[in-house]
Amino acid sequence: MADGIEVAKVGDIADGEGLKVSRIRTGTLDDIAVFNDGGAFFALDDTCSHEEASLSQGWVEDGTVECPLHAACFSLKDGAVLSLPATKGVAAHRVEIVGDAIVVHPAADRLA
Amino acid sequence: MSLAPGGRVVVIGGGLAGVSLAEALRAGGHGGPIAIVDREPAFTDRPPLSKAAFVDDAPIEELALLTPDRIAELGIDARHGRNAVALDAAARTVELDDGTVLPADAIVLATGGRARRLAFPGGDSPLVHTLRTYADARAIRAAAAPGARILVVGAGLIGAELASSLRAVGADVVLVDPHPVPLVPAVGGRIAGILHAMHAAHGVDVRVGGIAALEDGEHAGQADAPSRPLASRPGSADGARTPGQEDERPPLRSPGSAPVPAPGRRATAVLNDGGRIEVDAVVLGVGILPGTELAEAAGLEVDDGIVVDARFRTSVAGVYAIGDVARPRAVDGSLPRRDEHWEAARLDGEALAAILLGQEPAPRGAGWWWSDRYGVHVEGVGRMDGDGEIVLREPVDAGGGYPVAFLLAGGRLAGAVSIDEPNAVRAARRLIDQGVPVTATLLADPSSSLRDLLRAAR
Repeated sequence: MADGIEVAKVGDIADGEGLKVSRIRTGTLDDIAVFNDGGAFFALDDTCSHEEASLSQGWVEDGTVECPLHAACFSLKDGAVLSLPATKGVAAHRVEIVGDAIVVHPAADRLA
Repeated sequence: MSLAPGGRVVVIGGGLAGVSLAEALRAGGHGGPIAIVDREPAFTDRPPLSKAAFVDDAPIEELALLTPDRIAELGIDARHGRNAVALDAAARTVELDDGTVLPADAIVLATGGRARRLAFPGGDSPLVHTLRTYADARAIRAAAAPGARILVVGAGLIGAELASSLRAVGADVVLVDPHPVPLVPAVGGRIAGILHAMHAAHGVDVRVGGIAALEDGEHAGQADAPSRPLASRPGSADGARTPGQEDERPPLRSPGSAPVPAPGRRATAVLNDGGRIEVDAVVLGVGILPGTELAEAAGLEVDDGIVVDARFRTSVAGVYAIGDVARPRAVDGSLPRRDEHWEAARLDGEALAAILLGQEPAPRGAGWWWSDRYGVHVEGVGRMDGDGEIVLREPVDAGGGYPVAFLLAGGRLAGAVSIDEPNAVRAARRLIDQGVPVTATLLADPSSSLRDLLRAAR
């Protein structure tokens, strides 16, 4: 996986939005959510650590994503949990912009 | 008054408010002792008790707000399973039911509340449940075998969620509420109607009214037999509990004296329109009573909650109250109703931590809440009743989705409620808190982006 996986073009994810990329495509344990926060791109495991919810549907703002169900807040940079009701963080994946392509490098410990 | 660096904090109540306070104190650098006294076996998050945790039979560990490791890491003196029995405000000590006396520089009452019960013949029967604690949820779950029939009294948030969860585990549900459409003040008429209709659509027998009595099952259906209310539970006279005392839950029938149960349901619920429903259990979802007993005994000002000022100070120096139990006095001296929502408790804890650390708490925005039932996610912010005009944003796809409801007052948003459209409420929340001007036309137009309104205002 050294080359990473191209998941979308930069223009595919609007500012403040997330995109869910299937685990079938990423070869990871969980789907991966890719976020555009003010033009910076981030990738986290998609499933909230609290209950079954897709973080790709969350509210993205100021380096964080709020879970769409119960508003548990996670850092986009490293997946750390920033507020209850979640008590555990989610895995973060490195994102690289190559030309206009968003390339995700899945974290080694999250490969299926 | 801020806390000295080594100041001792004793928190009574290990729910969300108390735990949030402790975490925020440590995050803010407080190094002094922090004790949390809590009657439950773990610091429990309560919203899942009527939702996923109920359906999934989640162990209590999954509902813990803090893991044991995290408690140790934070250096919290966790007194699980303990009740505070006395508060000496002058000496600033808290006495526990095991005789321990905890001295404190700041005492924080985060005692929450207990589920309200209703007075009716048979109302003290062990078949009548309420839902506040993990043990309550387990008892209801145990009564809800597939095919069991449960009467849920009250179709507010808890009653509605529980009705959904009971259906999910295969129970028959009868839901009774005095309002033909409950929750209108909380969510507006349109959304309230949609939500309430989901009960019947999921096979719930929905009634209007209340419960008048619960009669013994052996007489169910025998018109000539005198009906008699079910026997009371021992020691459960309403309102006579000492702070923290847990309800006894005796066996359904005492061993030895129990006749072979008659086939059919365990009891007959009589509704106040005279309707009779054979049931196996009753659950009351009719709100909470604030846990003020300790405060009252200590001479603190209490009025349907512990009265506090904007900085959570009770009428006695060094004693604070946060969360469901706290009733903050408004600047004009009035006492608005207590806020019993989850996030408010968390923000109370964080705000008091800032105050105790000598910092200004973050400004409090419009209140936010959620509810999950029948596979949909409801959330709301601000208010949906009072001055203003309700504006509905219909779903783009007329065949699917739900409207978003807004309350527009004076050219600004005052509230919003959505079903399965959380980001509309997340946007609305920011529009409310930032006082961004909006129009009914924009709000009603599903093609207009609320997020763009926010961006434009920046």
